[in-house]
Amino acid sequence: MKPGAGMKADAVVVGAGVVGAAVARALAVSGRRVVIVEQGVPGGAVSGASLACIGTHMMDEDELPLLKWCCDEWAAFASVAPDFEYSRCGQLRFLKQESERRSADEWIGIETAAGLSPTLLDPDAVRRIEPELTGPIHAATWSPNSAVVNPFLAVRRLLEAAQAAGATLVSRRPVTALRLAGGRIAGVETAEGPIEAGIVVLAGGPWTAKLAATAGVDLPIVPRKAQCLATVSVPPSIRTVVGACKAEGGVDAGYTQIQQAMSGQILFNTVLEGGVTAAGSPDDIPEVDRAFIRDSVATLLFLFPAFVQIDLLRSWVRYEAVTPDDRFLTGPAGPDGLFIAAGDGGTGFVRSLGMARIIADFVGGRESPFRRDLYDPARFDMKAAA
Amino acid sequence: MRRIDTDLLVVGGGPAGLEAARAAAEAGIAVDLVDAGFRPGGQYWMQDPTGAPPLSAQGSKGAAAIAKAQATGVAFHSGAEVFAAFPDRRVLANAADGPIEFTPRAIIVATGAHDRAMPFPGWTLPGVMTPGAGQRLAKLGGTSAGERVVLAGSGPFLMAVAETLVKLGKPPVALIEARPTDSAIIAHLARHPGRWREAARLLAGARAIPERRSGWIVTEAIGSERVTAVRIAPVDRSGRIDRARSETIGGIDALLVGWGFRPMIELTALLRCRHEHDPALGGWHCVTDRASGRTSVEGVYAAGEVTGIAGAVPARLSGRLAGLSAAADLGADTAGDEGERASLAEQLARARAFSDGLGRLYAPPADLVTLARDDTVVCRCEEITRADIAAAFADGTDAVAGAKIWTRAGMGRCQGRICGAAVAAIAAAETGITPREAGFNPPRIPLRPVPLSVVLETTRDGQE
Repeated sequence: MKPGAGMKADAVVVGAGVVGAAVARALAVSGRRVVIVEQGVPGGAVSGASLACIGTHMMDEDELPLLKWCCDEWAAFASVAPDFEYSRCGQLRFLKQESERRSADEWIGIETAAGLSPTLLDPDAVRRIEPELTGPIHAATWSPNSAVVNPFLAVRRLLEAAQAAGATLVSRRPVTALRLAGGRIAGVETAEGPIEAGIVVLAGGPWTAKLAATAGVDLPIVPRKAQCLATVSVPPSIRTVVGACKAEGGVDAGYTQIQQAMSGQILFNTVLEGGVTAAGSPDDIPEVDRAFIRDSVATLLFLFPAFVQIDLLRSWVRYEAVTPDDRFLTGPAGPDGLFIAAGDGGTGFVRSLGMARIIADFVGGRESPFRRDLYDPARFDMKAAA
Repeated sequence: MRRIDTDLLVVGGGPAGLEAARAAAEAGIAVDLVDAGFRPGGQYWMQDPTGAPPLSAQGSKGAAAIAKAQATGVAFHSGAEVFAAFPDRRVLANAADGPIEFTPRAIIVATGAHDRAMPFPGWTLPGVMTPGAGQRLAKLGGTSAGERVVLAGSGPFLMAVAETLVKLGKPPVALIEARPTDSAIIAHLARHPGRWREAARLLAGARAIPERRSGWIVTEAIGSERVTAVRIAPVDRSGRIDRARSETIGGIDALLVGWGFRPMIELTALLRCRHEHDPALGGWHCVTDRASGRTSVEGVYAAGEVTGIAGAVPARLSGRLAGLSAAADLGADTAGDEGERASLAEQLARARAFSDGLGRLYAPPADLVTLARDDTVVCRCEEITRADIAAAFADGTDAVAGAKIWTRAGMGRCQGRICGAAVAAIAAAETGITPREAGFNPPRIPLRPVPLSVVLETTRDGQE
């Protein structure tokens, strides 16, 4: 469908990634007429390049209540929506050496106190869960509640649900500016004419700050390069999401994520501290760099040495939206009617449903079950003023 | 891993690449040529992999061109597939005896073309292949795709395949050309007397084919284990198919059907050269300055089919021009070349006028996109049907990129090389955008699947 100019809606959601799709669904389900405007194809930018892990493990202590709620919401959505390859496969975080134990124990303590059940496993126990993980690890943490989804299909299902509730999706129509009237939001401008609405939610990932600036709103979101590799499809060989223990000095203070998609492709990346240097921007995406390829393949083969003859098929690069404290900017900002839901920090999938809930509660004038202050788009201004 | 520092890396050993390499080497430049085939020559000048002498005049010309390039000191790396290139122009290739890293000062991309296949009911049956694949079988193995072959699609290449099969003693039982023969084709030929001999030769070869039709199109391949019959229908000059007048040709065992060629733009796209879309040039192609072969990226040149489908004559001319201008840009003493380059540019313009005209005359018919039915598989790697793709568009996405992420069309082992043009055509038909707006699957590292062991070896000690 290619709706023309002169559209009117209660709310315009800018960006049809997982966050925008979730927000559009939440607003449409609560009875608002919603238009979702996407500059490219839905889920084709940051979300499509995601490894889409849904979990609570080694994330953020303050966000644990919201993360737990999000995990349950994803499970609930999976039970009602058509298939999007939701799989509660659990997550392993490997430790290379004894020195990483302190951090692992600390996280296990925090999560256990929050009612979750992570544990620490020795290498033999790890192999009972992940038989092909035969590399010389020291130990691994195990978080059984983690899940993965197919990022493309998950966005598609959220958009389908939004459309079923009356939302309109417009693809490949860049929003060029916000419209203001009498000091409040009046809609958005696009290359093909304005869309009028009293509520605008910016869920544009790394493009959000530029759009907010057209209404005089300054947002501390910067783009960060994230890269990934995929092998050709192989028979089932990895059962869980395998990551590196979050620790100072853990996998040299970078991160690792390895999993096998339902298609059979093994998706993996490892970034060592300082490993990413290549230039680029969300509008001019470069290729993966050599150091990243080397570190990712070396880490995969360190853990799974039997994979050495599998063919590499593809690589990709995305620019995720990063905030100073790695939490979303979610809530009202600037002129009346403007809301922000951006700043995924590379873990937008799990949190998207929570961010949508917060926005829907604001718009509906309801209390939120979550700590809104954690996500207040103006929280850094307050700190600066204090 | 072998590391090779060189002045110029030529990628592709067909007519364009061979001419480019020789021209630059003659100018005193150190040239390495990397080619995926067992032996250089490319598709057009295909050489026997065992080294047996060529059977055709065309093959002999290729052998002579290879010998000349070798005599000028070009270093050949055959059987090596380029799988990565980085912004610093380092190029990684994988060969049977291990990977090679080239560090050239300049690159000439002469990667050639793919067959343009379009899905239709029955196209995945055994015995159905592209004319290009049939031609390779004939040239490399001396075998025909079948005993009773139907050759179909559009474009002069069908005549070249017919000629090869006639020489093998296996003339096709039918030649089904979609373009109705009319005065426009004759008028175009009349303007280019230099090509009359070739045209006459091809036409003479086709006389051995018992059934020759133009203005007809294959709408379906029929068979259970293998293709045994084809349905054909008239197609008019505006590209409309009249299915009411369909006929069946039975008793066949092979169908070669194709719609010309598509430029093989993976490497130029990876290097971020500018590309444009023109149906007469095979769709997406690398934009070059015709007189120099320069692309939009400094130090990267392109020649031959990758710059727009035109055939072997323009390929050789553009190859030589790119070789000479790369040599000059690299500091070779090319004083006195100006006259030759001006003459080459003029010949290229004339040759392109002929081929571009043919490209427009033999453009795939408008209704080609209507052949694939809902249950026809479009992406063979992931087994995605037209209905799957149409459903994604109905759900609100569009373009090649949208179809890919919502259906996996183009996400499999071939990375959309086979189905990309078809998905673009379906996107255009279903959502009302142009094939240009539908875009293409952006190639990424690696350009071809390559074992992790090789990836590690080529990145482990490299400079970052």
